[in-house]
Amino acid sequence: MRILVLTKSVPDLVEELVLDEDSGELLHDEMTYVPSEWDDHAVEEALLIKEDSNADVTVLAVDTGDVDNMLFTALAKGADRAIKLQGDFDLSTSNRKRAQAIAHYVKENPYDLILSGVQAIDDIDGQIPAMVAGLLGMPHASVVTDVRLDGDRVHFHQEYGGGLQAELASQTPVVLGIQAARKPPRYASIAKVRQMMKSSVLEEVEVAVEEVPELEIRRFFKPVAAGHAEMIDGDAEEVAERIVSILKERNLVRG
Amino acid sequence: MALRDVLMAATIIMFVAAGAIFSRRFWNIYQVMKKSRPTNRSDRLGERLTSTFIQVFAHKRMLKIRYSGVLHLFIFSGFVVLLIDVVGSILQLFVAGFSIGPVLGMIVDIWVCLVLIGVVMAIYQRAVIKPERYHGSDETDGYIILGMITMIVIGIAIHESFYPYAAIPVFGVKSAPIGAMEFLAYGLSHLWATLGWTAPRAASIGYAVGYAMDILVIWIFLAYLPYSKHLHVFLAIPNIFVRKMRPPGELVPSPVPEEGIAIRSFGDLSWKDVMDLYTCTECGRCQAVCPAHAAGQALSPKMIILELREALKKELAGGEPIPLAGGVVSQEELWACTTCGACMEACPVFIEHVPKIVGMRAALLEDGEIDKSAQKVLVGWDRQGNSFGQPLKKRPQWTKGLDVAIKDARREPVDWLWFVGDFASYDPRLQDLTRLVAQLLQRAEVDFGILYDGESNSGNDALRIGEFGLFEALAQKNLAKLEEAQYNMIFTTDPHSLNALKNEYVKYGFDRPVKHYTEAFVDLIEGGKFDLKPLGIRATYHDPCYLGRWNRIFDAPRELIKRVGVDLVEMPRHGENSFCCGAGGGRIWMEEVGIKERPADQRIKEALTLEGVTHFVVACPKDVAMFTAAVASTGNEGRLRVVDVAELLAEAAGLGIPDKLVATR
Ligand code: SF4
Ligand code: SF4
Repeated sequence: MRILVLTKSVPDLVEELVLDEDSGELLHDEMTYVPSEWDDHAVEEALLIKEDSNADVTVLAVDTGDVDNMLFTALAKGADRAIKLQGDFDLSTSNRKRAQAIAHYVKENPYDLILSGVQAIDDIDGQIPAMVAGLLGMPHASVVTDVRLDGDRVHFHQEYGGGLQAELASQTPVVLGIQAARKPPRYASIAKVRQMMKSSVLEEVEVAVEEVPELEIRRFFKPVAAGHAEMIDGDAEEVAERIVSILKERNLVRG
Repeated sequence: MALRDVLMAATIIMFVAAGAIFSRRFWNIYQVMKKSRPTNRSDRLGERLTSTFIQVFAHKRMLKIRYSGVLHLFIFSGFVVLLIDVVGSILQLFVAGFSIGPVLGMIVDIWVCLVLIGVVMAIYQRAVIKPERYHGSDETDGYIILGMITMIVIGIAIHESFYPYAAIPVFGVKSAPIGAMEFLAYGLSHLWATLGWTAPRAASIGYAVGYAMDILVIWIFLAYLPYSKHLHVFLAIPNIFVRKMRPPGELVPSPVPEEGIAIRSFGDLSWKDVMDLYTCTECGRCQAVCPAHAAGQALSPKMIILELREALKKELAGGEPIPLAGGVVSQEELWACTTCGACMEACPVFIEHVPKIVGMRAALLEDGEIDKSAQKVLVGWDRQGNSFGQPLKKRPQWTKGLDVAIKDARREPVDWLWFVGDFASYDPRLQDLTRLVAQLLQRAEVDFGILYDGESNSGNDALRIGEFGLFEALAQKNLAKLEEAQYNMIFTTDPHSLNALKNEYVKYGFDRPVKHYTEAFVDLIEGGKFDLKPLGIRATYHDPCYLGRWNRIFDAPRELIKRVGVDLVEMPRHGENSFCCGAGGGRIWMEEVGIKERPADQRIKEALTLEGVTHFVVACPKDVAMFTAAVASTGNEGRLRVVDVAELLAEAAGLGIPDKLVATR
């Protein structure tokens, strides 16, 4: 069983997003990038599957200029190979184009199971796994947990409305968007990542991507703060009174 | 065959057999030590010798528990004295007519009594007092050894007392009757006479039985020792001699093993670590002082040593090797350690628990195993250089509320460079305090500066979590910034940063002077920089592990407390015996598993036993957080106030300080 995990790096939300207020452009070069949290879960799920059933795990990233550390980290965690797709890409490359590049690569290099984070902070609607599946004509499921192999079929869970859990099965190859791994993602120690940098290589694969239909981002803007907090002063009595009156005003209590 | 020939033959055969068993065992242990990692233990020879002497002959650490120390001193000194007897008795058997003489004879008799008293005390301790620290130790082994020792010393008295009567039938020489100086043998020989056991046959049997109980049991003892905790009879003194003499706070000395600090198998231990395992006496003194153990967690430093020793014995006997981290020693045990060092301070034979624990943590970490909240902190340190998951840029934000701006030490030279640390910089509960320290420095007209967002966490805790690579990365970042700055001295409020700067950065060639704020403030007071009015309160002081035990700074905080007119009352456990707050070694970020009573809560209760003490003084930002929470959770808000020494100083110096910090109100 060959598993491919799609990973990407995203701006670190702990630091501030840097925006050129006038042009409304994100200043990618001034931000720090970190592996997308959901992709970490996809990597973890793949490694857990590998531990159960001897699968071979490859991690892949579109080379947007800063992905080496992320790929070496995945290798340090236990992935078998890491692939960097090279071509005309940078941090602003659209998800549509990334999906196309990945699809080209997978057409030439078939895998049985393709995992990706269900979403990323710059792909909230989880387009990448869905588009890759579509472009390759493979089955696809999103918001998936608990992926297990059963012969050449794949079993997994998906949550339906009302908290209903479904267990689904699919033939391979299949593309799954992982919501959360069975266990929290493991830690990769700095020493081990460094050791990987010395002892292993990232495979670089050149892909040419034709013109694809894309949306244009006209501008980014920060949310305008709506409403404000009211600080309630006074002693306990007064504060309690004010709280009660607010709750009443907004019809939040009866009587 | 004559009785004498039988005894001689038995002595020789048993000696050879025991010697063979003994040497084989030592040879095996030596082989393991030879394959383990190197560590330099031949530095500072003079100091080594004197301290070995003090620990061995004056029983310094042993006597910290008076009762056990005294009884052990009796038995231990008995071993030295009984060597005289071994030589004397064997010579007597082989050289007819030989005698050690009345003076040595008397000394032997005195020690026979002392050893017996020691043995009785030991049995009383094991059987009646039953200290908790013995829990998990091999008690049977303890009794077997006490039994053998009793046999040996009684045997001495018996064969000595029968000797005058047995001299002719066994040795064919005449012997003078025993003088009264050898009081024990003298008294017993009279007893035999009254009982009528002086005829050749009876006397020969008596002598032979006594000799067998003495010398032959000693050979059995010799063969048994290497399989028991009593190997310490041979290893304790060498182990004390090769103890760590480098600064206590340096966890990982240079050169760092190329393959990293992780301990996965016995080959990853240093030879001293291996020797530690065989030296452990199972006395449980380490267990008795361990905060994790006291909290009810799975950890006991003694059990870690014993588990490792058992596993090594099994492996040497041909068993399949089991991974040490997470196998022989469980993850729960390893992660429960606060790296407080109380175990190492208590161990009478200078066993080093903490490096082993951290080494095994490093192995777990390399396999990706770590508490998930702690993992977030590691990632935060790696990305933003702090444990609060806050942007790097916000590090100097606490300076905003100050009237006078603080110099940027990266841009202009300063006298003191203040290494602020994560907690003092980011924790909203502590920022007021951090500003207060700045105001104190400004009041004293100190020329100081900080590194602003150029400072990263010192890496002290990362290292103790087992993440050496991250520690190194953080150290390199800080060192690069320190390199840019011009300063005469580093000043820090945080003992953890202090420890890293003072002891762990040495491996990268860093050796600038570093002072804790308590030391620096005492200097300023000496220099007349503050006008102090006595506070007139009664307080106790908690020694932070990384200030006290690991850096031996005990006096400066006490001096400071006294200078501001505070009546200092010590808690039962203070100074080097201080009891950890439970936050160190990364514990502060980990989930509290299996904790029945938090160490910090226990500590607050300890302080509350002191008459009239209203304030609990600390000298570490983490302690402010830990103990304030502990006072609240034990419901003692009205009775005890947690204050930082800086608050006391500010108050005594009449600084206008924020209301919530006013210590004496
Ligand atoms: S360092 Fe402290 S917590 Fe860790 S084992 Fe020793 S005594 Fe226990
Ligand atoms: S490690 Fe030291 S203190 Fe602990 S049981 Fe062994 S000898 Fe005693």
